[in-house]
Amino acid sequence: MIYIFMFILGLLVFGAVVSDNIVIGGVVGDVKKNAPTVVATFVCILNIFGLLFATAFFNNAALRDHNYGFHEILFSTPISKAGYYFGRFFGALLLSTLTMIGIYIGFIVGSAVGPMLNWIGPERIGPTPWMAFIKSQLIFVLPNMFFAGTLIFALATKFKSSVVSFVGTLFIIIGYMVSLNLASDIENQTLAAMLDVFGVRTYFLDTQYFTPFERNTISPSFSGLVLKNRLLWLFIGLIILVLSYFTFSFSTKKSKVKKRKKVASSSSAISFSKPKLTAIGETDSFWSNFTSFFKINFLSIIKSNVYIILLVFAIILLITNLWGGFEHFGLQSYPVTYKVMDVISGISTLFVLIILVFFSGELVWRDRDSHINEVIDGTPHLSIASLFAKTISLIIIACLMHLLLIFIGVIYQALNGYTNFELGVYLKDFISGGFVRYIIWSTFLIFIQVIINQKYLAYFVSILFMFMLDFLFIILKVESNMLMLGSTPSSIYSDMNGFGPTVQGQFWFSLYWVLFGFVLLIIAGLFWSRGTNTSIKDRFLVGKKSLGKSYFAMLGFFGIAWIILAGFTFYNTQILNTYETSYESELFQVDYEKKFKKYENAVFPSITDIVYNIDIFPKERGLKVKCNLSLINKSDQVIDSLHFTINKDLNQTVLIPNSEQVFNANDDYLIYKLNNPLMPGEKFEMVSTAEYFSKGFENRVSQMFILKNGTFFNNFTILPGFGYQSNYEIADKNKRIKYELPARDRMPELQSTCNHLCMKNYLSDGSSDWVNVETFISTSADQIAIAPGSLISEVVENGRNKYHYKVDHPSQNFFSFISADYEIASKKWNDIDIEVYYDKAHEVNIDIMLEAIQKSLKYYTENFGPYYHKQARIIEFPRYRTFAQAFPGTMPYAESFGFITNLEDTTKNNVIDAVIAHEIAHQYWAHQVVGADMQGSTMLSESFAQYSSLMVMKQDNGPVKMKDFLKYDLRRYLRGRSSESEKELPLYLVENQAHIHYGKGAVVLYALQEYIGEDRVNTALRNFLDAYKYQEPPYPTSNDFMKYLKPQVPDSLQYLIKDWFEEITLYDLRVKEAKYTQTDNGKYEVNVELIAKKTKADSAGAVKEVSIADWVDIGFYKDRDEKELFFTQRIYLDNENSTMQFTLDTIPAKAAIDPLRILIDRVYDDNRKLVSKSE
Amino acid sequence: MSLLKISHLNKTYPNGTKALIDVSLELSNGMFGLLGPNGAGKSSLMRTLATLQEADSGSAFLDDIDILNSPKEVRRILGYLPQEFGVYPKISASQLLDHIATLKGINNRSERKELVNYLLQKVNLYNERNKSVKGFSGGMKQRVGIAQALIGSPKLIIVDEPTAGLDPGERNRFHNLLAEVGEEVIVILSTHIVDDVRELCTQMAIMNAGEIVYSGTPGNALMALEGKVWRKSIERSEKEDYQNKFSVISDKMVAGRPQIHVLSEVDPGEGFESVAPNLEDVFFTKTHARATEG
Repeated sequence: MIYIFMFILGLLVFGAVVSDNIVIGGVVGDVKKNAPTVVATFVCILNIFGLLFATAFFNNAALRDHNYGFHEILFSTPISKAGYYFGRFFGALLLSTLTMIGIYIGFIVGSAVGPMLNWIGPERIGPTPWMAFIKSQLIFVLPNMFFAGTLIFALATKFKSSVVSFVGTLFIIIGYMVSLNLASDIENQTLAAMLDVFGVRTYFLDTQYFTPFERNTISPSFSGLVLKNRLLWLFIGLIILVLSYFTFSFSTKKSKVKKRKKVASSSSAISFSKPKLTAIGETDSFWSNFTSFFKINFLSIIKSNVYIILLVFAIILLITNLWGGFEHFGLQSYPVTYKVMDVISGISTLFVLIILVFFSGELVWRDRDSHINEVIDGTPHLSIASLFAKTISLIIIACLMHLLLIFIGVIYQALNGYTNFELGVYLKDFISGGFVRYIIWSTFLIFIQVIINQKYLAYFVSILFMFMLDFLFIILKVESNMLMLGSTPSSIYSDMNGFGPTVQGQFWFSLYWVLFGFVLLIIAGLFWSRGTNTSIKDRFLVGKKSLGKSYFAMLGFFGIAWIILAGFTFYNTQILNTYETSYESELFQVDYEKKFKKYENAVFPSITDIVYNIDIFPKERGLKVKCNLSLINKSDQVIDSLHFTINKDLNQTVLIPNSEQVFNANDDYLIYKLNNPLMPGEKFEMVSTAEYFSKGFENRVSQMFILKNGTFFNNFTILPGFGYQSNYEIADKNKRIKYELPARDRMPELQSTCNHLCMKNYLSDGSSDWVNVETFISTSADQIAIAPGSLISEVVENGRNKYHYKVDHPSQNFFSFISADYEIASKKWNDIDIEVYYDKAHEVNIDIMLEAIQKSLKYYTENFGPYYHKQARIIEFPRYRTFAQAFPGTMPYAESFGFITNLEDTTKNNVIDAVIAHEIAHQYWAHQVVGADMQGSTMLSESFAQYSSLMVMKQDNGPVKMKDFLKYDLRRYLRGRSSESEKELPLYLVENQAHIHYGKGAVVLYALQEYIGEDRVNTALRNFLDAYKYQEPPYPTSNDFMKYLKPQVPDSLQYLIKDWFEEITLYDLRVKEAKYTQTDNGKYEVNVELIAKKTKADSAGAVKEVSIADWVDIGFYKDRDEKELFFTQRIYLDNENSTMQFTLDTIPAKAAIDPLRILIDRVYDDNRKLVSKSE
Repeated sequence: MSLLKISHLNKTYPNGTKALIDVSLELSNGMFGLLGPNGAGKSSLMRTLATLQEADSGSAFLDDIDILNSPKEVRRILGYLPQEFGVYPKISASQLLDHIATLKGINNRSERKELVNYLLQKVNLYNERNKSVKGFSGGMKQRVGIAQALIGSPKLIIVDEPTAGLDPGERNRFHNLLAEVGEEVIVILSTHIVDDVRELCTQMAIMNAGEIVYSGTPGNALMALEGKVWRKSIERSEKEDYQNKFSVISDKMVAGRPQIHVLSEVDPGEGFESVAPNLEDVFFTKTHARATEG
């Protein structure tokens, strides 16, 4: 048995090493496939599965003699109790831990075979990490198996029941999941890490900020949290073991003697005579057979301990999941239906799968396991009645669990004061996401059990099918829902757009699979085991004999119905609509790059004016677009041909006057030759169109931006690509190697003096600079359509709403087009219309949003300069996409991103303020000034927007509260750099990496204003903006900004520019000890021992220590909760170890180095220390 | 009066075991005993007759019902108590009988209820009717078994090793029940306990290694051995000598000493005394004969 387990584990790991399709914990970018941290991660995760094996071993060790009835003999021999007990325990422990060695074998074999067969590049394999193998085994496997073993062994010896042992295992796993839930909240991470039985969270927490370099080199070690966690659980395990040893006794467990009730003797007086029976079995009694079977089977499951235990666990898991609420940057979202629904479906899927697999076997084998099969089979019932009754029992117990969870979810909503009970939504979700799948799975699992006719083999096959099939389809590159068992297009519920456009496809695919299930079930009827025949041939003969014409009619009917439906589905998803598998898309990308990369430098004229004519047809999910473009040749070359990349899905066309098409590659890439070449400075006009109308249903819904309610897309979606589109290129480094593509061009390097590279900005990629835009947009009568700019006119014509918008100031050609059924809230501030377009269900935060827009506009106009639009709009869109984005004066905002956040507790951070302030800031940073297309450009938009929004928030919040918010930015940076797929760059060289321009940018700029003052930073920003806003090219670079920043920084702090912007600097700051003594004048003298280290990281994350010579804040809190920072002082540290003295008026509770957490320090826990009285 | 006619039944299991070899039998109303050692093929024959197992060749007719090809019709008039009669957990006796009655086609709910009560009373379990059958003793369970076999006026009742594991009292009660129903219908009682047949059956057959080695009345069987069975108490150490010298049909312990029965046309002398043959002798004679010949 142990070899089978080892083999399974080894195979899994082998698969993960040699293929990118099997994923166990993430390996990205430069992290080697067999890096020490990857080994440890695999061990951590697979250890949870290993627990199931361990349960078998420990349970077996404890119960073996008992089960074989050997215990009475064995226990009467003079064997010592300790020898017996611990011998068995450690034997099982050894076996359990040995099993995990399969993982290491998988690594070794995979690392050797993978590169040899050219499945993965040799550069992705590091040296064999022997240390990591040994340490993982000692740190994770051994303690985990020990702890789990003590519990299972104790339960097994105590209760002598395998079921109880497995419940123990389940209990450990549930405990682990509870700690996972805890960990989702950043505040509880340390607690969660300690409570994690397996140490998985703990290890992840310890390594979360590891850079790729560290991941490739550092093995896990017994230190820090991991050490504490391991000791804690070892200790608990030891206690369990000792307790269980002392309660263990060789004497046999006494069988329970149930007291039989004395039977009332009087009842013997009743006497029955044999009844006359009418018409036995004259009619085929399918229904009465069916109901009787159903009652017997259903009742037995409902009453069975396993079902009840699983039910209870599912409920516990749901409650713990809901307990923490829906955290969102330290705030809670309202428990809207879709949030609760998502939690429920996650839990129910897991548990229902377990239930279905387990009980499919139980039900099919029930008569045989109870040894009553011969009696039942000897009665003249219809086999198919029994089969159907069992299948339906199975489906119903699954549904019962799901519905119970929904019931608890609704109660949870009620308890939280959320009273918009959308039972209809729950029900629909249950039917499409639960009921239908349960039918399919149940019939399929029963089919497997019947055909295979060996319970445990069938279990094995079932598990393989239910859990491994996905892998198989990934490897086979199959994505058709018609082949992937039970799969339907998945839908996401949005308050705005309901279940969305997926519903139709979901319906037909569901029907297709349900019919398939019926057919399987009917076929299973033919092979149903009746009597004691085991061979499949005998069963078939018996089945054929006993099943009548009506059976074959039924088989024929459902078979044909299924085939017809299959044809219909095939027509809709493969012929009427087509789709690309992700593999095909990849091939397309490769092909595109290989064929057209040579045109990358073709010059294109620049757009100056655009008129968008857009008609949106929400009901039909349709779109018609015509764009009139005016262009000008801004280059110094003559342009004689124009290149276009066409999106065929949207039927894009281009109309170029006076030209001919000279190249057409499969309608993807077109080249037009101009009859009259375009001279430098010459103007030119063209038209582009696009059209899309949805047809039938699809394998997965494409064009998810055209919706019944909440259509939202931008100009890049509808315009053809001008020239070669480098964003089509495959980005993943390892995939590029696989497809033999050269390493991808990185962003152009930052130039010290501006040249032709500064002539295009990073947003429009040279296709335009500042553009005049008008939009004529129409939609159905019940919706409002919105485009950037002032509303010029609004008419109703032919039952359609038609709008005309015009932008008040030339802008970036980055435009959003939106249509939905909206409510509008508005207010006026200094001639600017502040508007929020929202769904009527989401009115709760609207006033806060209006207020946030106004606050932001006020701060920015005061500190940075005028706002050039006449409106500032926030527009809600469905949650299929989750972001907020800034277009000129217009900011679409996802419904899940703030509209449902609970802001009743005003002491918490206001995340809506943050997001809105960020997007409004983009009206300056990106829309007024935008960086040249090279390194550092996103610092000028994203980092500045992030900084600006922090400043807006800081007006209402003190610095201690700001720290609460800043920690998310810091985490984003540290996490991001740990999974860096290229190489980390300093802030001013950022290459559009979110963790750097948002995360690090925010922390660094915030820290800078703490060091040099908000005014000085704002001055630098304003001067920079004044110099470049709405300027024709050349565009500014981060170097240009540095020129405005440097004069604002005092000489003593000039090193910050180098450390924070131009290099990668990390700090390791600690308070080693803090003690106070009371002085004679009633004051308190505090001695603080500090450790301060500074390190510089290179691009791969390798660090080297540099000597510190920095100004750092020291602060003292009045309270242990760190709410009141009553004293701070910035001191100069030029030594790794130093002792400082402070004189305070009151006793401090805590001393902290860098109390506002503005320096980048991976571990913050050691920055604070309780202050104790000096002896 | 029904007639069950079994002709030339053969069955070989996938693992090569020959369970039935050319089995032919004819039997009519009354108790029919099928005697044979463990593994003789009794259960295979029973299961084939109970439509639970396919035969490779041969035929079996109950009056004009083709048992092998019309299982459904047989099942309507069949009462079957298998060797291992288990029960569902957490189901009471009356629930269980009600379920089986439904499956046997008694669709009228009140009739079913009445019948279940009648049968429960008949097997003396009426007072325990609402208790879980799982907790019943072996004898009680077996009574539930006979009750279910009687559901629906069966014409053919097959009971496979029904008294194994019952105490003498339970066994007697069980026999009385069987005898009562056995007057009207065909009852086939398969057993390896000779006394069961002696006490109950008018007709009998002996099976060994898949074959019928004797069929007829118990009386005829005994008559054939009249005067040929001799008995002697011996020492344990002598056993092998005797086995070589005589045709020993059985040896068992009597009052602490081995006692052997030998088959001999004439008085073997050496202290043997003649005994009246019993069915056990018949059984051992028939089954040993096969074994030694084979």
